[in-house]
Amino acid sequence: MREYLTLLKRELKSITREKTIMFAVLVQFFIASFSSVIMVGIMAFYDPSSISENTKANITVGLVGKNANEMAGFLTEKNNVHVAYYNNVTFAETDFKAGRISAILETPPEKSGVVDMKLVLPEMDTQQTVVLMALQEPLKNYENYLRMTNGVDLKYNGFNGKPANTYEFLYSIVIPILMLFPSLIAGSIMIDSVSEEFENKTFDTLMAAPVSLKQVFAAKVSAAIVTAILQVVLWAGLLRLNGLVIQNLAIVLGLATVVAAAISFIAAFVALYFKDRERAQFVYSMVLVVLVSGSAFLGSSPISLITRVASGVPNAGILTAAIYPLLLAALGFIFFKLSRKLVFSK
Amino acid sequence: MKNIFTIAWWEVTRLRSRFGGKSKFVILPVILLAMVLSYTLYHQDFTICKGLYTIGVSPQAPVIKDSRFQVLALDRESARSLLQTGNIDLYVDADKVWVRQDLRSQYAAGALKKYLENEELSRIAGQYEVNQAFPLRITIDYLDKDPDTAVAGAEKSPSLSEPGQPASPAPQSDIAANTTAVPPPQAAPKADSPVSTPSVKQQANSAPEESVLVPGKPEVQAVPKPTPSIASSSISDAAVKEQLKNLEKTRKLPEFKAEFASENDVIVPSLMSPPMPLAQVIIAFLYIIPMFFVSVFFTSSFTEEKVNRKLVILLSAPVTRLQVIFGKMLPYYVYSILAITAVTIFLKGNVMLALSIFVPVMLFIFAIYLMVALTYRTFKDQTFFSVLALSVITVYLVVPAMFTGVNNLSFISPLTLAVLMYRGETFGIAEYLVATLPCYLTFFLVMYIGNRAFNEEFLMGFKPLHTKAFEALYLAINKKHLNISIFLLGLLLIPVVFAVQLVLIVLGSSLPATALIGMIMLLSIVIEEVAKSLGIFVLLKNKVVRSRLDIIKLACLSALGFWIGEKLLLLLTMSVSAENSFMTAVMGTSMFNGWLLFIPLVLHAVSTSVVGLLASRGRKLSYFQGILAGAVIHAIYNFSILLASGVFR
Repeated sequence: MREYLTLLKRELKSITREKTIMFAVLVQFFIASFSSVIMVGIMAFYDPSSISENTKANITVGLVGKNANEMAGFLTEKNNVHVAYYNNVTFAETDFKAGRISAILETPPEKSGVVDMKLVLPEMDTQQTVVLMALQEPLKNYENYLRMTNGVDLKYNGFNGKPANTYEFLYSIVIPILMLFPSLIAGSIMIDSVSEEFENKTFDTLMAAPVSLKQVFAAKVSAAIVTAILQVVLWAGLLRLNGLVIQNLAIVLGLATVVAAAISFIAAFVALYFKDRERAQFVYSMVLVVLVSGSAFLGSSPISLITRVASGVPNAGILTAAIYPLLLAALGFIFFKLSRKLVFSK
Repeated sequence: MKNIFTIAWWEVTRLRSRFGGKSKFVILPVILLAMVLSYTLYHQDFTICKGLYTIGVSPQAPVIKDSRFQVLALDRESARSLLQTGNIDLYVDADKVWVRQDLRSQYAAGALKKYLENEELSRIAGQYEVNQAFPLRITIDYLDKDPDTAVAGAEKSPSLSEPGQPASPAPQSDIAANTTAVPPPQAAPKADSPVSTPSVKQQANSAPEESVLVPGKPEVQAVPKPTPSIASSSISDAAVKEQLKNLEKTRKLPEFKAEFASENDVIVPSLMSPPMPLAQVIIAFLYIIPMFFVSVFFTSSFTEEKVNRKLVILLSAPVTRLQVIFGKMLPYYVYSILAITAVTIFLKGNVMLALSIFVPVMLFIFAIYLMVALTYRTFKDQTFFSVLALSVITVYLVVPAMFTGVNNLSFISPLTLAVLMYRGETFGIAEYLVATLPCYLTFFLVMYIGNRAFNEEFLMGFKPLHTKAFEALYLAINKKHLNISIFLLGLLLIPVVFAVQLVLIVLGSSLPATALIGMIMLLSIVIEEVAKSLGIFVLLKNKVVRSRLDIIKLACLSALGFWIGEKLLLLLTMSVSAENSFMTAVMGTSMFNGWLLFIPLVLHAVSTSVVGLLASRGRKLSYFQGILAGAVIHAIYNFSILLASGVFR
């Protein structure tokens, strides 16, 4: 046990000395903050409603035509949309050019059959998108109203919920990435740590010391896992500060640890087989592709399991989560069985 | 040239020996498996939020086929209690939905509403006639607020405002004529031949039809007056059918076409799709992945030869450093070009156009990895620099491309061009330059620094990172031509400064807007001051420059270079996108009129001189204090400019 602790200290020291962990955190911080930008962007455009949440853009629509009044009713259902009435298009266009209104809607006289409207939008990309997306929902409602007058029967229209895109994105992409990315880094650390021993020929020295091979690998794997756990805990804390709560935190952290350990073992396998960093890192990245895309075919892959557990799906996969430690134990057992043979194989 | 080939061949041989023998029987199957799995995954209809919601349904409820929902068949009584205890998120009772007030249940309801809405659309599209199911069509016109184009807009306003005229196609053609005059479609010869997938082609064909049909025939319009609604709806009918087809398609596969609603002249509100080109960005990213995978060989080859001193031996051979660098990179270039071609053929794209977009990207990526290879000191260093490089490159390429067609600032990423290519749209030479120039510049800068810093002492030295960076910079400066070097350094650091500032904007984007602008301004001031004075600081450190006069002279030159670069960048981005308040926040002000243009130059010269003079005292914190003083001067200037331009009013 004492030997193991000494070895563990050695590994951890080499990781902190290289500021590896700092880099790891930096990289993830970078990715996380950019994914938040992507998120705000995507959400804004998938969900017109999130535009009104994210920006306080007030949109005034100039209305022209006979049915302007009716249209106004639909438009002003949204809080950030206002209307202004015009008698003819020329006046509306003057105001539009002066920037007093952001769009012009010309409503035709007819109310049955096909209704053709004209919408004038600003030429500028960003404003165009914002206006169009803000108007989408009122226009959809108006379209449904027209369908009704046309005798089309539309069902399931009478309930409301919160747009779920942001929620789905956070729990199915951001949280799994942040919880599992440290595992990938742990695997990479493992490859470096093992292949370095071969390339610098320090394995022989290590073997001469009074430690067993098992202790050496146990220390290496533990060091990789410790770095992963630190990062995962850091992320959970940061997410909490940002108001994003991970439900069943203990299970999620446990699952992330188990995945980190499993990937470390796999990486160690690869490194032991190839013995040089170059091929090991390459094959490791390929194996990761296989694992990630392969797990997408599983009913409850680690990713979807973390999504479900972290979002607090009632009775979600606590039993399934228990399978993973068993798999890990099997993997560890096989690894320690084979490691001796692999170290000394040519 | 021959030397380059020799070294390239050497590199290939090294790789072959690595992957020859027994190991290829392990490696090849793994690669194959990875490819097969990702290919099947790509062609599968997979959702990532599998089983996120648990919902109960009554026997009369609609069938819900969406893997996000775990569906339980329940009767009312048990559903009520399960809903209350939180075991199900909502209950669908025939065509009514029961929800709780908490967020989870509300989100589930939102997701279900969206799903059912889509299902209903498909149903009514199949059940009713098009005109009945999609009765509302909205023709979109674009009008500029700009006073310049308002003149052009005035010509067409009579035709627009003709009273009683239903939405006839005539104004549309006016707009089409307008748009060709207003934005910059000086389509480059290369860019002029867009790739089009079959579906894109259809659209491209139908669009001109409309504009060809009508140009400038106001008299003819009077003839079909008796049936105006039929004439107009026949056009909108075609558009509706087109969009319905897309609806069917997007339900099946992530196609190239994730069309931006406003690109259609006629929109149907319920068929309007979000403009984010997620699928196309992923497809464009397919080009980058092969380069990422081989990057490990490139960096490893450097480490290995660094460790066993082969590189040092090579340097004593009669080859130039540049030849060594190019020779080692050549195999990867060849491989990447082949990969780009293969991906393009696989996606049935235009090979030449794809190459013109992705070759600069390739040069950029390997330039970054060359920098990684030159600076790291150990294996672990290498891994993390590589991961950092990978994420930086990914972010730089992917994030802006997500906003293709939404914001023209997206042209800072070359992937945006690829997205446009796969949408069958064209782009102009200005857009091409904005997107690819940073790549070329980085490439040349890295090649230059790499060439100068490629010596034994630098390669083998084990020093802290910042020392290493200063060392590389010092080596890069030509001591015989100090003035020109410092001037060029100021100029060439502009893209780097710009990139860092963009990153800052993004990192700070979660802050409230006013705090964000303030913080970005302060930080970018500090970054600019560092960038301008870095060269002088390194020279001071190595005691190449001593006298105060020299410091001031170099500071002025650095400021001049920086100022020219700043204005060039501004000019270039303005030619693509006129709307960027962030740019103005970052760059100070965008004044182009008269002598005001030179005020920033004076400011840069003064602040950099102050930094240089303070740093020359040579104490431990001197440089830091210098930066602080320079930043204060710079900040006072920026603040007064903002005050003068009336931002605070």
